[in-house]
Amino acid sequence: MWRYMGRKLGIYAITFVIAVTINWMIPRFMPGDPVRSMLNRASVSDPEALERMTNYYNEVFGLETPLHQQYFSFWSGLFRGELGISSMQYPEPVLDIILRAVPYTLGLLLPAIILSWILGNHFGAFAARSKGLDNSLLPFSYILTATPYMWLALLMAWAVGVVGGFLPTSGGYSLALMPAFSWEFILSALTHWVLPFLSLFIVALGGWAIGMRNMIIYELEADYSNYLQALGAPRRLIRRYAFRNAMLPQITGLAVQLGTVIAGALLTEIVFNYPGLGSLILRALNNNDYFVLQGTFLFVIIGVLIANFIIDIIYVLVDPRTRVQMTGGAS
Amino acid sequence: MSNLAGAPGSDGTTDPEPIGERKKSEALYFAKRNPKLLIGAGVVLLFFLIGMIGPLFVDHGPNVYIGPQMQPPSAEYWLGTTTFGQDIWAQFVYGVRSTFLIGFLGGGIAFLIGTAIGFVAGYKGGVVDEILNMLTNVVLVLPALVVLIVAVAYLDVRGLFVQALFIGLTSWPWAARAVRSQALSLATRDYVDLARLSGRRTGKIILTEVAPNMSSYLVMSFILLFGGAVLIAAGLDFIGLGPSDGVSLGLMLQNAFQWSALHLGMWWWFIPPGFGITAIVSSMYILNVGLDEIFNPKLREL
Amino acid sequence: MRTLRLPAALAAVALIATACSDEGGDSGSSGYPRNETLYTTGTAWDPPTNWNPIMRGQYAVGTFGLAYEPLFHYDAEANDYVHWLAESDEWPDESTHVITLRDGMTWTDGEAIDAEDVVTTIELGQMDVSYSNIWDYVEGVEATGDLEVTVTFSDPRPQEWMNWAFGTPIVPEHIWADKSQEELTDDPNAEPVGSGPYVYEAHADDRMVWKRNDDWWGAEAHGLEMQPTYIVDVVNASNEVTMNMLSNGEVDLSNNFLPGIEQSIDAGQLTSFYDGPPYMQSANTAWLVVNHDHPALGDAEFRKALAHAIDLDQIISGPYSDLVDGANPTGLLPQWDAYIDHELVEEEGHTYNPDESVALLEDAGYMDDDGDGYVETPDGEPISLTLEVPGGWSDWEEAARVIAENAQEVGIDIQTNFPDFGLLVDNRNAGEFDIVINNERQLSNTPWSYYDYLFQLPVRDSQTTVNFGRYENEEAWELVEELATVPADDVEGAAEVTSRIQEIQLAELPAIPLWYNGLWSQQSNDVWTNWPSESGYSGYATMWDGWFQLGAIRTLAEIELAE
Repeated sequence: MWRYMGRKLGIYAITFVIAVTINWMIPRFMPGDPVRSMLNRASVSDPEALERMTNYYNEVFGLETPLHQQYFSFWSGLFRGELGISSMQYPEPVLDIILRAVPYTLGLLLPAIILSWILGNHFGAFAARSKGLDNSLLPFSYILTATPYMWLALLMAWAVGVVGGFLPTSGGYSLALMPAFSWEFILSALTHWVLPFLSLFIVALGGWAIGMRNMIIYELEADYSNYLQALGAPRRLIRRYAFRNAMLPQITGLAVQLGTVIAGALLTEIVFNYPGLGSLILRALNNNDYFVLQGTFLFVIIGVLIANFIIDIIYVLVDPRTRVQMTGGAS
Repeated sequence: MSNLAGAPGSDGTTDPEPIGERKKSEALYFAKRNPKLLIGAGVVLLFFLIGMIGPLFVDHGPNVYIGPQMQPPSAEYWLGTTTFGQDIWAQFVYGVRSTFLIGFLGGGIAFLIGTAIGFVAGYKGGVVDEILNMLTNVVLVLPALVVLIVAVAYLDVRGLFVQALFIGLTSWPWAARAVRSQALSLATRDYVDLARLSGRRTGKIILTEVAPNMSSYLVMSFILLFGGAVLIAAGLDFIGLGPSDGVSLGLMLQNAFQWSALHLGMWWWFIPPGFGITAIVSSMYILNVGLDEIFNPKLREL
Repeated sequence: MRTLRLPAALAAVALIATACSDEGGDSGSSGYPRNETLYTTGTAWDPPTNWNPIMRGQYAVGTFGLAYEPLFHYDAEANDYVHWLAESDEWPDESTHVITLRDGMTWTDGEAIDAEDVVTTIELGQMDVSYSNIWDYVEGVEATGDLEVTVTFSDPRPQEWMNWAFGTPIVPEHIWADKSQEELTDDPNAEPVGSGPYVYEAHADDRMVWKRNDDWWGAEAHGLEMQPTYIVDVVNASNEVTMNMLSNGEVDLSNNFLPGIEQSIDAGQLTSFYDGPPYMQSANTAWLVVNHDHPALGDAEFRKALAHAIDLDQIISGPYSDLVDGANPTGLLPQWDAYIDHELVEEEGHTYNPDESVALLEDAGYMDDDGDGYVETPDGEPISLTLEVPGGWSDWEEAARVIAENAQEVGIDIQTNFPDFGLLVDNRNAGEFDIVINNERQLSNTPWSYYDYLFQLPVRDSQTTVNFGRYENEEAWELVEELATVPADDVEGAAEVTSRIQEIQLAELPAIPLWYNGLWSQQSNDVWTNWPSESGYSGYATMWDGWFQLGAIRTLAEIELAE
């Protein structure tokens, strides 16, 4: 088991190094100068002043030093928790900006992932019960997974927000409130949360249902099921066994699906102007702020790695077989 | 992105089965009687035809201002017009075309990379397997869309082919992983050993002995990759990282959103593109289930 | 359903975490009462992070205008300066300007506003700040009394100087005098101490909140009583979001271009300055800026042919749905009507006329000899041009497509390209482009700012704010310099110079004026009414930077609560 975990951690470490390197590399070899675009917005007219200010900011952003030095200082900055300074929100540190957005994204993602996983599993197991159910629920689930996140979000915003007018369709909380620990604020945050959450949740639901349905059908065809059936065990019991066994691949699926759900959250946030990482990425893109873009990228990667690791631990805890299997090295 | 949890075989619980001549006719028999396959294939074909033939019947470019602005669907403009008086039907047919294009190209590139890596890793084993497997795991962990955003954002000129290439480069890993586990079990079969003893080159053995025996499996992988590529491309287009000067369903969505179609009540602008994507991808998936049921007899009866 | 309890609990925890982890919180949770608060949007594109008035263009909405104020305002309608912090001013000779401040004004921290504050502000220009270039012509500045400042000039340019004096916020000496360069440029100035009618209240990533300064000097001096207790400026998200907030009455004023807004105005849900087209007042001119280093674009006849080929009506009625007006051939804004030589324009100005365009091309030797449908240079070189506008600026993208099509119809090969904004700016500044659309100069106190934009010399390697097309005409630039020396209140004298400039401009057409971008302003009347309008009082309902001193501040005193 320790060897298995060690292997996994190794892979995560390598992934992290590669991600950081990509992250550092891309903007430095691409066109578009953030300092220039920032100064441009500041409408500095005098060319001499402009040149001096350009030099000054290049120094601040560390763009003047040799490449390898930039790379190492990037790493050492990373370990000190520094992600640089935003150019669009100069002089605010990138980390502060990201930390403000993270709770919103997590607040969408975590409930959406966990609830859709649990409900989707039950839904899938339910669908696998009979041919009739299966034939109606399965195509429906496939339509859900094939729905682009932003389209469902647009439809919900239109139907519930614009036409119906029941729920707010933009922002994280009411414009009349500032964040505070009060019922009023929490209520406002909740009503703003409902629609983006639902769009994310519904699309994700379909995928889990399909996964569980497929797994159960495989399990029901497995030898032990046939054996139990031959012994005259009640169908309920067999199904329960099948469900338990099918949970394991679904846990692994959680890790694999993470990227998709995150992508979905980013797109959904954009539609609802929800103040999380997705909206932040869009803003950074529009403003050519690669410091923020990189920081967000790193944050997402770190988040994904942590989530993967937690899922690994859960997997090992839930399934004692993994110890034997993984230390053996077989797939 | 295209990995549907529990995609057939990706868990390694089923063994691929060699398909002989006898089985082929049997497969055909079941194919004709499988509604999922028939309906899925029918819808895919319908959209394929719309995308291929539709543009031939549109006598103006998709972005040309042809007439009245903000018109709801009518006999003349089947899907109405945009805020600027562009024909949405024209945009739609061209968009469907580029959706298939991005699916084939993006999904195709991912398929090539994924199967190549999967086969080599599974067949060769040992150190090669270790390295390739690690590479696969690393790319698998990286969230594709986020990587794509960072990469594509810095591109000077964005075109459909570049987009397809980038999507292909990031979405192959799960296919590689699944193919690897299949190849792993096939590589130890007798007839493969026999081929190996006869001194044939690795590439040839993979192409002639291993791959054909999992062809059904490969087709299904491609379909899933196709769907994934379409969805990712739509997401990128929506963020504004789509082809700089083109038409796609994702760009239509972005434009509709940007020009407040929701608020102006122009449902004919934002419903068709999303519907197109959903219909194409979901019927692909359903077609895939149908295929799975045909090639995997256990699934036929519930 | 036992398993559902955990996730539900997790969701609750996550939400509470969301709620607690945000900053702020001391501002009271009761919110801002709707009938005391003006909600605005459409100006800010980034979260407010900076209240440093010295760093132009980066500060939060209202920093200059609501919190900090200039010496002068300018009334564009009357074409006259309005004394603001200054009570009076005079020019004893042409190289000396004596400004006297009002008595009894205080900063929001209670300190008195005096001459030293003005001196400090001007002297900050000796550091690296956005207005450092005033020291090219200012010789010295001195406090000649408690409230009297004397500025002397080495090279008197009254028009340019007044442009600074009306466009630059005065900062308190006791806070800014001793700042180092770093503090000057990097300090977010989180607790702005200004002189204006509003003070900082709170901010979040998506909004900026100002609270009325009840001790504001101007309430008495100008008789202006600011109506809203709070102003909440919401950061721009998308058209969709803004439209929704406007029609729900969540936002009172939006200052961004909203496609299709004319429908809501026609239906009476929203108001704008004019009840019919163009709905909006004009704010700046969109120019077709051409690169004069290009062999064909460097030829005035070719530029004229291009100007005649563009069907502005198609752009105005297409992407803009009549929300803008076509520009005068001189490009000068309607507010500058006194400076336009109408006779000259009548004779020399261009209009949409494809036949004329073709004729001009033929006369100048631009023919299509190889039969590809596009003309070549007289030397037979093919001409292929790219018109670039920033990607994502959808109205401009659509306009660019129309222009390209128009040009192709007369045989000029123009293709469109929509690169990233930053990239376009880099290329534009470096002169690596064929054609771009640009509207960086706004309405100001003098048309000098427009001509400075068109003709400024010398051309440098990097042209950052003016003359992107690299047009070189010594004669024209000398005239512009002459315009800068005309006394600020001498409209006739200035008009005489601008007429001579326009003679060159219309003959040479260094850049082609397209349309007047509107002062996008759409108002909901649910909570606040009496917005400036054609039938009501004239003024500007906007939060845009640089417009408060053009009179927009008065609007805040004029609006009334709806019954």
